[in-house]
Amino acid sequence: MSEFFPDDMIVCRCEEVTVAEIKAAIGEGARDVTGVKRRVRAGMGLCQGRTCEKLVQAILCRELGAAADQVGASSSRPPVRPVPFGQLAKGVVE
Amino acid sequence: MSKFDVTVIGAGAIGTSVAYHLCEKGLKVALIDRGDIASGSSSHCDAVALICDKSPGLDTQMGDASIRHYKELAEKFSYDFEFDQKGCLYVCETESEYEAAAKYAAQQAGDGYDMSMVDGKILSEMEPFMAKDLIGGIWTPGDAAMSPYKVCFAFTAEAKKLGLKVFSYTHIYGIIQDEKGHVTGVDTDQGVIETDRVVNCGGVWAPDIGSMVGIEIPIQPRKGMNLISEQMERICWHKILEFGYMMSKFDDINFKRNVSPLVEEYNVAFNIEYTHANNILLGGYRGFRGFDIRSELEAMKAIAERGLRFFPCLENVNCIRSYAGVRPFVKDHLPIVSHVDEVPGYYIAAGHEGDGICLSPITGKLMAQLITGEGVDFDISKLRFSRFREQVAMGA
Repeated sequence: MSEFFPDDMIVCRCEEVTVAEIKAAIGEGARDVTGVKRRVRAGMGLCQGRTCEKLVQAILCRELGAAADQVGASSSRPPVRPVPFGQLAKGVVE
Repeated sequence: MSKFDVTVIGAGAIGTSVAYHLCEKGLKVALIDRGDIASGSSSHCDAVALICDKSPGLDTQMGDASIRHYKELAEKFSYDFEFDQKGCLYVCETESEYEAAAKYAAQQAGDGYDMSMVDGKILSEMEPFMAKDLIGGIWTPGDAAMSPYKVCFAFTAEAKKLGLKVFSYTHIYGIIQDEKGHVTGVDTDQGVIETDRVVNCGGVWAPDIGSMVGIEIPIQPRKGMNLISEQMERICWHKILEFGYMMSKFDDINFKRNVSPLVEEYNVAFNIEYTHANNILLGGYRGFRGFDIRSELEAMKAIAERGLRFFPCLENVNCIRSYAGVRPFVKDHLPIVSHVDEVPGYYIAAGHEGDGICLSPITGKLMAQLITGEGVDFDISKLRFSRFREQVAMGA
């Protein structure tokens, strides 16, 4: 990964998390996407990991020498896309 | 592998605190979890330590001691767990709620806690975006918030400096006892961990660790759910809950609220807080759904509806996520912080329901005092495991 992605490259755009920060989270004991997320917020922003999740998975696989199915994915939770509380309360999404 | 004085099972808010406080006493400690640090209830909850939602007496005393202890730890630890003593408002919709709240606050103030009533005018000065028709509320300036999973990371990081050995992603096959029943080890997929004592900090999973030594721990999973907003400019400055929240927490206090059937059905009680990252957490719902922690769409609608009643400005704010977790519910609403008569060397610190984050520091401190045989800070005989046997014997 490091030969392609420099340490200062931003992986999670919403939360501005870099490759180096994700590597540090793995060094602290993160073994999957959720573990990285809780330590450095990658995937916690507005897009909920749509942009960065695959990159985070790739970094995890590379650093841990793990297969893609071992590093997990963020839990799927509604709403599928951001929805105003007003519309959510009415149960109507325009 | 060398022998440990104590092995703590469960790396949530309770287990990591117990491990830290034991290390602080100079004991050799192992911490086991089947997953990552904070991968259970402590990362699927909200983030506050309050006394204003506690029953007068031991409950409040422990909450207060815990918040004070949090404050000391925040100053001492190099790991930042985002401690924020923002204060808490418990708001009332009706005169009768206000009356009950005033009575409760007077009792707590009489016991020496910093709690007072504020009227609607002061309320709208403190929270200018909140609905204007509220009667007033209870103001508790000492109540605090923190990141629940960072609390676990902080305790673990600080305890490691004191020699803690962490076995994360480690599965337990069983607990080994000698012929007298005394704990001697924990059998895991990483090998046998020899230990003189075990502390079961398994939360909702504590009964599984109990059955390994033949005891029945009466903890049930109770689901809680919250919504998360997009990051935004500040709209609230304190932790705020509706006084009707008491209703969802204690079955014996029954305030009738003027709410929709959906809010009623999902037992939704408004509470809101801002996070360190400027998201809003909006809650909440509690229900018994076994270990199912999927988000429920109807509950989400009910939480949003109730949130809008108190903060109409949320109308156009985006909800970006929902989450749910299970809390370790005990019928008498008291945690278990205790030795176990039947199994020498076996201890339990579990069953805090929605107060695990709040009571984490004090629980760790008390358990370390119990294990080292020093005097405990206060009388916790009500938290003994043997109370359940006595309740059965008394036919309760």
